[in-house]
Amino acid sequence: MAIERAAVIGAGLMGSGIAAQIANAGVPVLLLDIVPKDGADRSAIAKGAIDKLLKADPAPLMSKSAAKLITPGNIEDDLDKLKDVDWIVEAVIEKLDVKQSLYRKLEPFRKKDSVVSSNTSTIPLQTLIKDEPESLQRDFVITHFFNPPRYMRLLEVLGGAKTRPEALAAVSDFGDRRLGKAIIAAKDTPGFVANRIGVFWMQAAVNAALDLGLTVEEADAIMGRPIGAPKTGIFGLLDLVGLDLQPHVDKSMREALKPDDAYQTVRRDFPLMETMIKEGYTGRKGKGGFYRLQRNGAEKVKESIDLKTGDYHVSDRARLESADAAKGGLKVLVTHKDKGGHYAWAVLSKLLRYAASLVPEISGDIANVDLAMRTGFNWKRGPFEMIDQLGAAWFAEKLAAEKLAVPPLLKLAAEKGGFYKTENGQLQYLGTDGAYHPLKRAEGVLLLADIKRASKPILKNGSASLWDIGDGVACLEFHSKMNAIDPDTLDLVKKSVAHVGKSMKALVVHNEGDNFSVGANIGLALFAANIAMWPMIEDLIGQGQATYKAVKFAPFPVIGAPSGMALGGGCEILLHCASVQAHAETYMGLVEVGVGLIPGWGGCKELLLRNQPGPKDPKGPMPPVAAAFETISLAKVAKSAAEAKELKLLRASDGITMNRDRLLFDAKARALQMLAEGYKPPEPKELRLPGPTGVTALHLAVDGFRLQGRALPHDVTVSAALADVLSGGATDFTTVVTEDQVQKLEKKAFMALLRTGPTLARMEHMLTTGKPLRN
Amino acid sequence: MPAYKAPLREIRFILYELLKAETLSNTVPAYADATPDVIDAILEEAGKFCENELQPLNHSGDEEGCHFDNGAVTTPKGFKEAYAKFVEGGWPGLPCDPDYGGQGLPKLINFAVEEMICSANLSFGMYPGLSNGNYNAIHAHGDEAQKALYLPKLVTGEWSGTMCLTEPQCGTDLGLCKTRAEANADGSYNLFGTKIFISAGEHDLTENIIHLVLARLPDAPAGIRGISLFVCPKFLPTADGGVGARNKVACGSTEKKMGIKASSTCVINFDGAQAWLVGRPHKGMSAMFTMMNTARLAVGMQGLGIAEAAYQGAVTYAKDRLQMRSVAGAKFPEKPADPIIVHPDVRRMLLKMRALTEASRALSYWMGMELDIAAHHPDPERRAAADDLVALLTPVVKAFLTDHGFDAANLGVQVFGGHGYIREWGMEQLVRDARITQIYEGTNGIQALDLVGRKLGTGVGRLARRFFHPVSEYIETASEKPALQEFVLPTAKAFAKLQQATAWLAQAGMADPEEAGAAATDYLRLFALTALAYMWCRMAEIALDKQGGEEAAFYEAKLAAARFFMARLLPETNSLFTMLTAGKATLMALPAEAF
Repeated sequence: MAIERAAVIGAGLMGSGIAAQIANAGVPVLLLDIVPKDGADRSAIAKGAIDKLLKADPAPLMSKSAAKLITPGNIEDDLDKLKDVDWIVEAVIEKLDVKQSLYRKLEPFRKKDSVVSSNTSTIPLQTLIKDEPESLQRDFVITHFFNPPRYMRLLEVLGGAKTRPEALAAVSDFGDRRLGKAIIAAKDTPGFVANRIGVFWMQAAVNAALDLGLTVEEADAIMGRPIGAPKTGIFGLLDLVGLDLQPHVDKSMREALKPDDAYQTVRRDFPLMETMIKEGYTGRKGKGGFYRLQRNGAEKVKESIDLKTGDYHVSDRARLESADAAKGGLKVLVTHKDKGGHYAWAVLSKLLRYAASLVPEISGDIANVDLAMRTGFNWKRGPFEMIDQLGAAWFAEKLAAEKLAVPPLLKLAAEKGGFYKTENGQLQYLGTDGAYHPLKRAEGVLLLADIKRASKPILKNGSASLWDIGDGVACLEFHSKMNAIDPDTLDLVKKSVAHVGKSMKALVVHNEGDNFSVGANIGLALFAANIAMWPMIEDLIGQGQATYKAVKFAPFPVIGAPSGMALGGGCEILLHCASVQAHAETYMGLVEVGVGLIPGWGGCKELLLRNQPGPKDPKGPMPPVAAAFETISLAKVAKSAAEAKELKLLRASDGITMNRDRLLFDAKARALQMLAEGYKPPEPKELRLPGPTGVTALHLAVDGFRLQGRALPHDVTVSAALADVLSGGATDFTTVVTEDQVQKLEKKAFMALLRTGPTLARMEHMLTTGKPLRN
Repeated sequence: MPAYKAPLREIRFILYELLKAETLSNTVPAYADATPDVIDAILEEAGKFCENELQPLNHSGDEEGCHFDNGAVTTPKGFKEAYAKFVEGGWPGLPCDPDYGGQGLPKLINFAVEEMICSANLSFGMYPGLSNGNYNAIHAHGDEAQKALYLPKLVTGEWSGTMCLTEPQCGTDLGLCKTRAEANADGSYNLFGTKIFISAGEHDLTENIIHLVLARLPDAPAGIRGISLFVCPKFLPTADGGVGARNKVACGSTEKKMGIKASSTCVINFDGAQAWLVGRPHKGMSAMFTMMNTARLAVGMQGLGIAEAAYQGAVTYAKDRLQMRSVAGAKFPEKPADPIIVHPDVRRMLLKMRALTEASRALSYWMGMELDIAAHHPDPERRAAADDLVALLTPVVKAFLTDHGFDAANLGVQVFGGHGYIREWGMEQLVRDARITQIYEGTNGIQALDLVGRKLGTGVGRLARRFFHPVSEYIETASEKPALQEFVLPTAKAFAKLQQATAWLAQAGMADPEEAGAAATDYLRLFALTALAYMWCRMAEIALDKQGGEEAAFYEAKLAAARFFMARLLPETNSLFTMLTAGKATLMALPAEAF
């Protein structure tokens, strides 16, 4: 059964977010809420929610146009529209009676065999539907999304005793392929998988910080990156999700869990937080939380609360040796002698022990639990991966030495040598039966990590590697710091093109880093510029241009398969690919002007080509130049693959994959398809560009921006250089300009800008502060 | 005993012809009064004072040394009188803030004066030198009351100052400092501890001595982040700026040392001495560093001063001393033998001293001028650029000029032959005096680490840009002038080596800090020689324009020295490059127990 139309009932934060993600998948969705008590518009609540979706940051919608797929309505007048809907998501308030009366209200209108799911996080499935008709019980599942639904990858799914397997499968498959979620088959246990462990962790982390007398800065300095959690740590996370949510979560967990559950002893009342909630300090959405921003004249000062007195003081960077030492591994952290080390041990010893006691209660296998924590809480490693990092045997012994009971599963892992192992290049996990089982990937999932585990690279240097991903297709992986492109990367791109040309069929450019590539390594370029090594830098520009040109004109298809940021030089390589299969969460942009430069590796040229008029577009030399100028000079970054198409950074024909795990498979399939269709490399194109008249026109626009204060002094210089390149230099519309000639202009302008003080200052500022300099 | 003649013509060449120092008075309002006529008059006077008052005390001071008696230190005969004249002449206040009674003249001028003092009598120079460092630190970090209390007396020279850093267990590594400060109810502190190697720590030249002391507060974090700076006067000042009760700070003994014997080097004991915090708690190191950078340049000037003195002595001797005939046939047949200046190897020594000294003067005075620009130029970007450049080149100037000072002093002894080894001639004193300059204010090894470990990386090479860009641009334009080719081409080669070495360091040193440590000293010298080559290009360019005019001989000599430098000194950069890029492997291979 395929889901082609959906409905979400409840247009709150979660409901509207889920509707947005369904729309992001290109699926029409009804968004219904109650009729407001007053006001003429009976669908005002859902309409208001759509307005909010369009304004929210980070954006729940991948493209403004996706909002058109969301039809607002109310549950009094629009229930008949449910007759076409294959999946109804209930995301209303966490009150049993409200939910149940809604189900009854829907039942007569539902399409036969449609699926109904609840987004509840606290009410057990059996409680929700125990009094419902059989017809609903057959079609009922829980789909538990995480906030915000677009960005959090976890989706916990479970059915009841009477749920049709097809219903569960349909929703799971839709969640996986269309919504891009990591599907965790959960059980009907309190908090399901991720919250069961996550809520325990948050309680443990807060209480240990109080017991050991850590400041909020110190606690967050340990409970963030050092343990592999997001850098918000614990108190920063509470601020982010809202303090006021916590008492409700605690109450429901306390009531639902058995009296002997470890949660009952780890949890505690937190009087300071209760006072804060009462006074409106509910976190970032309120007056502030454990941190707040105070205005001090023009600048904002970050303040932190004193956990003992409740007074705020200017935030101080935590100085804990253990936080730095954690780079050496989790074990170094938890055995460190300072209070950060004690704190890490106090929390992790409880957390990991608890997690080990929950399998198989909450999930049949440990890999599922780890995946849930990685995707639901954005941890780098799940609890069992953390235990393996510590060493299961070491951890079990240390618990025993502290007279703490060692859960049977941990004992088993300690004996067997860990929760995971690699056998013949295959990752395996320890089952509750004491045997290791291969970690199976779903059909259509191809992970580079698995390939790397099982094989050796064809080519490799410090910044990139080339892998054989089967069927004659190779995968070029970047792996330098932040996947920045440096001379080594370029060298490997060049060699990869040569290798594939000689002995393989197609090339996919893809990696599993957080970001595809943040662009050229500007640290290297800046240092070289600062010591005036001009020929070296010019050579680097030339190398990049030649390499990307080789990508473009390769006799085989090169498919770009990005996810995350693809900026600057990372965007430019994609512009040169025969086709791109992009993860929906791809953020492309030519951002060079932010550091006072222009794209130098063919980005200007490719954007001119992308913007050449189609049959229906206005003719003349200026429109493509103006369009490319706007995109580059404003350093526009697409906030999704869909937006990248709007900016013409992706072609209309390029593919989008919602689930990141499916990206490489899809990219490979695209390559094979292009081969099957008889791939021919493109012919170099000739351009007609306006020359100096175009420059004049663009200058006028920039001067206007400058007068309005929208362009900074150095923007004028950079824009002038860009205008000259895009206009083709000393040419006119009657003369033909080749791609190579535009690249020469790019190089010349790039080198000239690199010699200016303000450009060097912008680069330095970006590298040292991570923020653009406005000069 | 070598006579000393202040090299005023050389100094004026650098100030006006190379650096265009007159632009300071035109473009920097704070220096509007520092016009060439004013500067010339000051330099003339300073030269006379050094020639007539200080230089005659140099040898006697070395022979006699300082006397220690029951906590009191007496300087050698004549020092007290000379210091009184120094104060009377207003010399201590030359570069100081007019708000506190100083003359507010450019540091550049003070650099020239310091050079002359150090040529004439390095030991004497220590006393006002330390006071100036002390003045700078209080001026930068003291509160208004501290400034009002101490600065006027330091400016006049009535009081002198010290910098108390070193302790028996803590030299280069100041994080090991143990001296502690205990708070008093009135906001002052009592200091407990022992400092060693304290120059000018105790003496009879001034009525009071103001110590700046690094110590730890009771709640101080361990290591370098827990050091605070205190001001601790020998006599507690009275409200009206007089001298009150004796503080509990005393000189325990003086060191017997290799050189600068007329400079008193003391063990100073703080037995609950009353002191006041300067700047913020635990931020003593950063306070110290603002002072230290100027002090390091000042030590560079000591090296330059010694080198100049050694050169002058050697030249006089080489012209007088008759030994052997020129290998090319007698040059002075009427004399019993030729003066030794005819011999190629003697010339090699003299020219090496001269070519490096003149370019070192150019480089260090350039930094003096940039210091002034950094302090007072109206354009903030120009100030920042100057500050960067000085920060970058401070370790180069300190280490290279003091290495050169010592080398030149040794060459001076060599030119004198056996007489150089005899105390009476004064040449061996220069060797002994010069030796300390390579050690204090951060050993030259530490300077090299500062350059490669801190300065190069700052702002991803921003400091480096302030040097590399002007040199690169100069080479680009100057290489188009045919007459300059013989200077610019070798300089361009050395510069390319320096660029490559810098890029190599950035990569190898980033991956492995030991590589940076292993390359540092050779890299600093490569950097210095390249900088001197740049200086020689610019000086030669000036000399080429003045050929055949007035003072033709002066400018011909400049060109000759420049040619010698390019042909016979600059090629050292090739071997330095080869050595430093050879990497750390051979340095680190031998296990410690095998030594």
